[in-house]
Amino acid sequence: MRILIAEDDLTSMSMLAAVLQKAGHEVVEAADGAQAWEVLHKTGAPKLAILDWSMPEMDGLEVVRRVRMLETDCPPYIIMLTTRDQKTDIVTGLEAGADDYLAKPFDIGELRARVNAGRRMILLQNELREREKLQGVLEMAGAVCHELNQPLQSVLSLTELLMMEVDPGDPNFIKIRTIKEGVDRIAELTRKIRRTAQYRSKPYLSGRIIDIEGASQGENNHGNERKSDTGRG
Amino acid sequence: MEMKEKAILVVDDEGAILDIFDQVFDGTGFRVVRADCAETALEILEEKPIDVMFLDLHLPQMNGIELCRIVKSKFPHSVVYAMTGYSNLYEVASCHAAGFDDYFEKPVGIQMLREAAEKAFARTGA
Repeated sequence: MRILIAEDDLTSMSMLAAVLQKAGHEVVEAADGAQAWEVLHKTGAPKLAILDWSMPEMDGLEVVRRVRMLETDCPPYIIMLTTRDQKTDIVTGLEAGADDYLAKPFDIGELRARVNAGRRMILLQNELREREKLQGVLEMAGAVCHELNQPLQSVLSLTELLMMEVDPGDPNFIKIRTIKEGVDRIAELTRKIRRTAQYRSKPYLSGRIIDIEGASQGENNHGNERKSDTGRG
Repeated sequence: MEMKEKAILVVDDEGAILDIFDQVFDGTGFRVVRADCAETALEILEEKPIDVMFLDLHLPQMNGIELCRIVKSKFPHSVVYAMTGYSNLYEVASCHAAGFDDYFEKPVGIQMLREAAEKAFARTGA
């Protein structure tokens, strides 16, 4: 994971960077608050930031406040570095929007643990966001299906009635049959979308896209097959 | 013994769907009685019970599930089918709980509608 470290103390910066790089993270360094803000307010910014409280140009608290003012659906997880025993600062930092804090001089094990906790939170938020997006798309798909299936019922029934009335030798029969084939295809598509939409209550949320074909193939496996028929008559 | 009339009550707020049912059952020995909402359907049933019905789930005011519950409590021997243009799993579960005898997703083929009606009347003994 990419992690921003904003720290003006070079020794502290080196230690933080070394520990995090050893744990497999990519480190982005900022020597002061202004640099940290430069990185964090741009798209593609690291999703986890460790900000020292006291920095030149702009302190960590101000960076947190600014970052929390940004309109984004993916805000970074922020860990504040504070000096030990400054309880008031910790409360102020958390209330300004920091997610966690780490007291200096920091313990390596604690740093790793807090970064891991942040990573878990970020993953959880990502999953939640994907779930919300999927939910929105599925709800829209459901509404579209409903609107499509009402007129489709009329077209299908009338086409089937016509096919019963017209002699198969009549040139118009082929035209009507072609219309029915088109209706069947649309009906099949709405059925697939419906099956996909029904997956919202199932543990099918790891995917990033909605696979209509794939999702609809599972329809017979969960004992929920519906009656619907466009192929007969 | 007097034979019951083979009337089918169709409840749907879209006139086009009611027209379709008229045409689908025209000349098949069934008579379609139309209702555009649950309240009208109940009034019709109070006047003259109809044993077989197709209810759209999405109706204005009282929905198809509530209507089915009332119909089944008053006329437990009736055969009630649900129809819907879209549904989720919760709705399907609610259909079973409400007492629907079967469930159809639109668009439903003519043959399936006619067979469903035949089966329903076979069950009611009409």
